[in-house]
Amino acid sequence: MLVLENIKKAYRKGDQIFNALNGVTAEINKGEFMAIVGPSGSGKSTLLNILGCLDTPTEGNVLYDGAELGKMSENELSSYRKKHIAFIFQSYNLIPVLTVRENIELPLVIDKVRTKKEISQKVMLMIEAVGLSGLQDRFPRELSGGQEQRVAIARALVKDPLLVLADEPTANLDSVTAEEIISLMKGINKTMNTTFLFSTHDPLVQKYAQRIAVLKDGLICSDERK
Amino acid sequence: MGALLKISIRNIHRHSRRTLSSAVTIAAGLTMFIFMNSMYKGMDYAAIDNMINLTTSSVKIHTQSYIKEKKSLPLDYGIDTYDSLTAYLASNQKVKSFTRRTEFLGQLSNYTDALPVVGTVVDPSSDTTVFNLHKYLEGEFFPGKSEKEIIIGRSLARELNVSVGDFVTLQALTRYESHNADEFIITGLINSSDPNLNKNTLFITYQDANIFLDLDNLITEIDLQVFRNQNLNIMTQEMEQVGTSIENHFSNLKTATFKELGAAFFEMAKQKQSFGMIFMLLILLIASVGIFNTVLMSVYERIREIGILRSHGMRGFDVMIMFCTEGFITGLLGSTLGLIIGSVANSFLIYKGFPLEAFAGNVNTTGMPVWGTIYGEWNPDVMFFAFIFGVVTATLAGLIPAYKASKMNIIETLRFV
Ligand SMILES: Nc1ncnc2c1ncn2[C@@H]1O[C@H](COP(=O)(O)OP(=O)(O)OP(=O)(O)O)[C@@H](O)[C@H]1O
Ligand SMILES: [Mg+2]
Repeated sequence: MLVLENIKKAYRKGDQIFNALNGVTAEINKGEFMAIVGPSGSGKSTLLNILGCLDTPTEGNVLYDGAELGKMSENELSSYRKKHIAFIFQSYNLIPVLTVRENIELPLVIDKVRTKKEISQKVMLMIEAVGLSGLQDRFPRELSGGQEQRVAIARALVKDPLLVLADEPTANLDSVTAEEIISLMKGINKTMNTTFLFSTHDPLVQKYAQRIAVLKDGLICSDERK
Repeated sequence: MGALLKISIRNIHRHSRRTLSSAVTIAAGLTMFIFMNSMYKGMDYAAIDNMINLTTSSVKIHTQSYIKEKKSLPLDYGIDTYDSLTAYLASNQKVKSFTRRTEFLGQLSNYTDALPVVGTVVDPSSDTTVFNLHKYLEGEFFPGKSEKEIIIGRSLARELNVSVGDFVTLQALTRYESHNADEFIITGLINSSDPNLNKNTLFITYQDANIFLDLDNLITEIDLQVFRNQNLNIMTQEMEQVGTSIENHFSNLKTATFKELGAAFFEMAKQKQSFGMIFMLLILLIASVGIFNTVLMSVYERIREIGILRSHGMRGFDVMIMFCTEGFITGLLGSTLGLIIGSVANSFLIYKGFPLEAFAGNVNTTGMPVWGTIYGEWNPDVMFFAFIFGVVTATLAGLIPAYKASKMNIIETLRFV
């Protein structure tokens, strides 16, 4: 489904050039639950951002079902993100002035495809799926970190994306909540066959991964499926 | 679009204090603008009021033949239709009051020095209904305690080293061109806002002039006032209408409104106006800096939000629309508030007035163009302009940072705190 061909990313710091990614090649299949691990600064976030079309590689290609991201315009990329990609951030990134329900429906509202009724049905379904029933009218500041991340997951999944990218989704949570969240993601992965790609430092989280790629100095040094 | 609007309105609502402070900034700017503009117009109007009340009146009437010789201020070419003219003026609804005057040239001396002067013969009882000379007087306005009373300009009195109660000698040619000189007693000194009036003018009554100048009630000038109107343009139009109707009724008469008489003043006022424009622009600049600052800050606080929306695939354009909407709504709130507060402040200026004396103190303000209490004016176009200005500025203030944020790297906006 997703093919990475020799992805390189260089950052310019003054007149020095720093290579965050040194030629990452991989293939990710539909329905995979894949963790990217590696030391700090190894390029995990950089890689996820590139896959999410938030950033562009200096060299190499990303292919989604054969379509080349590098050849898309800014608006096409926006549209691609809108349709197919969802993010879960370490710091949740909910819109503070919107309620749980409104935050979750946001991607659908932006997409402007579904009717109001379809949207509200879908949103209620997601709220149940992430275990937030009864909290739909709360604002983010009235939630715990774990609950906020559940909202973020529901928001990511509401549009049935091809790929969910999660950059250290549990880093701000305690170990019990972290496990709840990751098992929630895993459950959704199983029932909905959604592809997940997440970066993490947490060994507990790695336990749930079906595939683990280890990144070091901008290169994949091991890639194993369980 | 609905979602955008919802987020905008939520933001405005949720951050009601911030919204309020932005709106208040906008309102303060607009209030200041509306108030200062009204004040400025009021100052102009006050200067015109002064001119009308001190020298030009609303409309001056002479015979056509007098106008031709006006430079020499002849004691000739009088208004011989005086009785029918006054009857006509008394019946004209637009005319508030009128009086007669006769001007002549003379010399005033304190027995050692003599200075050339412009003399005016007045009718003390009706003169005060048209002019307010009596309000700018040190001393009394023809109290009638003695014969041959005279009022002279204060600067003139200084030069001649005389004061109220002193005697001066007036020399002039009579109506029949023979020299005459007589002693007059000073009852009042004119200390007005018009330096010319203070410098080389004197006033005597018809009663004395009939003897001294052999005047035989020769009247060369009628001065009239129309009713004051809040709107200067309307008042000027009324004056012109009165003038034309007089000329239509009395073919030998010629009228002139204060506009024609005060042409020099209006030349000066034009220059002052460009100064006023700069001043107003300055106020607008200060106001827009304030507006920009507050709206800008509220957008910068939420650059991360822009990143979130964009990571969900919202187009940069939509993001901009959203923040513009917020600026627009804030601008609308602020401008409406500004219009209300500005109107309240302005109505004080209009109905109560701004006492300039209270600020200038009782110092000698000779030569100052304005004097007394300044009254404001309603200016619907200025208020409309101010309103639009507030809304547009606030919208632009939302647009610029939103545009920048929509062009920023999304990862950076997400990191933005
Ligand atoms: N905008 C940038 N400008 C310059 N250098 C950058 C930029 N973003 C990332 N880098 C560098 O690229 C390298 C990879 O960064 P990245 O954020 O991908 O690491 P990471 O694996 O996610 O680390 P962590 O586990 O700490 O999140 C780092 O050395 C970082 O300093
Ligand atoms: Mg990282």
